[in-house]
Amino acid sequence: MVNKQIIDNYRELALSLGASDFAHSGDTVYIVVDRERLRGLAEALYWKKNCYFRTCAATDETKINGFLALYHIFGDDRNGLNIVVKTYTEPNNPVIPSISDIVPAADWCELEAYDLVGVEFSGRKLYRFMLPPTWPKGLYPLRKDTPYNYRPGLPVSGERISESPVSAVVPVGPYHPALHEPEYFELYVEGEKVVDVKYRGFHVHRGIEKLAETRMTYQQINFLAERICGICGFEHSVCYAQTVEKAAKIDVPERALFIRSIVLEVERIHSHLLWIGVAAHLLGYDTGFMHSWRIRELVMYLAELLTGSRKTYGINLIGGVRKDINEEKKKKILETLELVEKDFKKLVDTMLGVPELVKRLKGTGILPREEARKLSVVGPVARGSGLDRDIRRDLPYAAYSYAEFKVPVYDDGDNLSRLLVRVDEVLGSISIIRQLLDQLPRGEIMAEDIEIPEGRIATSSVEAPRGENVHFIITGRGKPYRWRIRAPTYQNIPALKIMLEGENLADAPLTIASIDPCFSCTDRIYVIRGGNRYRMILPRRY
Amino acid sequence: MGKLGFVKILVIAAEAGRVTRKYPYEPPLVSSDFRGKIEIDETKCIGCGSCVLACPPNALVMSDEGEGYRVLKYFVGRCIFCWRCIDVCPVDAIKGTREFELATDNVEDLDEAVIHKRASCTECNGLYSTVKQKAYVMEKAPITENYVDKCPECRRNKLLRAFEKRRGGESLE
Repeated sequence: MVNKQIIDNYRELALSLGASDFAHSGDTVYIVVDRERLRGLAEALYWKKNCYFRTCAATDETKINGFLALYHIFGDDRNGLNIVVKTYTEPNNPVIPSISDIVPAADWCELEAYDLVGVEFSGRKLYRFMLPPTWPKGLYPLRKDTPYNYRPGLPVSGERISESPVSAVVPVGPYHPALHEPEYFELYVEGEKVVDVKYRGFHVHRGIEKLAETRMTYQQINFLAERICGICGFEHSVCYAQTVEKAAKIDVPERALFIRSIVLEVERIHSHLLWIGVAAHLLGYDTGFMHSWRIRELVMYLAELLTGSRKTYGINLIGGVRKDINEEKKKKILETLELVEKDFKKLVDTMLGVPELVKRLKGTGILPREEARKLSVVGPVARGSGLDRDIRRDLPYAAYSYAEFKVPVYDDGDNLSRLLVRVDEVLGSISIIRQLLDQLPRGEIMAEDIEIPEGRIATSSVEAPRGENVHFIITGRGKPYRWRIRAPTYQNIPALKIMLEGENLADAPLTIASIDPCFSCTDRIYVIRGGNRYRMILPRRY
Repeated sequence: MGKLGFVKILVIAAEAGRVTRKYPYEPPLVSSDFRGKIEIDETKCIGCGSCVLACPPNALVMSDEGEGYRVLKYFVGRCIFCWRCIDVCPVDAIKGTREFELATDNVEDLDEAVIHKRASCTECNGLYSTVKQKAYVMEKAPITENYVDKCPECRRNKLLRAFEKRRGGESLE
């Protein structure tokens, strides 16, 4: 439980900076602040209180109170607190001061709010961020009066990030047989050195938030949530379910929480094994790739046994889970883990014994600690840069408070650090699953009465393999009134610019891969201006 | 580890041996808990539509077609194999299988349908629900036999008339 003293400190701070309202519930602090005082409060939270920035969520609340609202979500991870700062603005002149100069991590979500809800931010450059360039002006998809199935009939248009007329441009991406997901990187190079990076994503935005808010029901959205990501889907459905459970104060049976944690860790193991394989492949060490994926296959079979689908889909509901773990499965899990642990250790030993491999990992793609803090990066990227943060430990959810584990932190901030974090986490996950299986309590796996009242607010986070997922929900009748999702890659891509600049071109694919990007769950744009003498377009090779 | 430590991979490879399978020339490796395509038992289905309401991707839809028919359609192409329909079916008409090799060159192979005859109202001859659902309701709650033959509209009117009589009011008609 959160210390009362800490809450009081926040109350004092908020009220002294002119907050008009303050409330506290569980692990979340709610602050309402005027537009004029938002920047002062943001600065105090982000720099004095040393909070991380999670995300912001713009909401059209005209049907409730006639205003548009912006929720900035900060996280005081050391004290296990979420801090939600709400600001109102009128729909006919929706201006809110930007905080992206104080909190660089807020850059993307402000642009997203501008594009999708039409909130204008003063004191920063605003540009089209997510929507196609030909999207009609003044049509905001996430406003409540825009129907979810409205299609404005856009003309087909080409799009270039850069205006400079350079000959011999080979446009690889966003859609290309060699790419696994639609994305578009432009690396500007001088000789062998990368001098600038441009990224354009957002080609696979599926309007998931809007779909859930308009035509699905609470229990159906679980199955939509897990489809946000093709690898860490279970994290999203857990995060969605637990946010609704938190908002509606539903007591989930302990056994269900344990099963969630176990499957979450299974997912982490297979995701990290996938990444380690891909990293080896990008370094030209395909033997490592093959063996990593061979080991991963055992885990995939386990995932299918536990959930009924290789991709850990389809067992989460609000109030619990749908599939139990019996003795037979328990035995199978323990057997598999033993094999995986043994094989994985051998493989890592061998991989790190390849001198060429280590040379290319060490000292490349450096993200210094200060920059990582400024951008509030998450997951192995943060832990590889010396930021000691892990939601599993800081804001324990599911059954993590019953397991003991160490959060691996490396200080070098290079590709090797991020690899080592993931290696340690695989072994950590194996240990967590063993501990939880050992303590697995008896009982039901599904809560009985599930009632979700209207108008409740909750936010919660889940530590996915790539970093922290944040879900924010305002409950409505039969479905969420507002559901905001922030995937980990969303927070990590801005750090790529820092990692890549001054880097050798040959190391770029690995560095890009080192944040373990997942574009379909992120899908946003990032544009960086800068001098461009030469231009080179590089497909990401996985 | 010495300079040639990485050669150990040869030992690992030799130990692991061959792990790929000769699928499709041998049975696929799916676990006992795998969720595949669903099968709807048309003799059991009563056409109540619970599965349609629970289905997240609209793979199951229901529509009234022709003269007096209600059709439950299952399109495998949209199915996400979550088996929520199996959870909610009141008569256990839906069964899960482990079948997943569903590729076809004819899209019609992906469609399945259960056709129900709709019940007709004894009073106004209007169509409502399905014959089987009516039978199910009568079986589960025999007390309903007085009004289950009528469509919801006629039922409502009958109830209103009964209230009026009791309160000594006049009929609307």
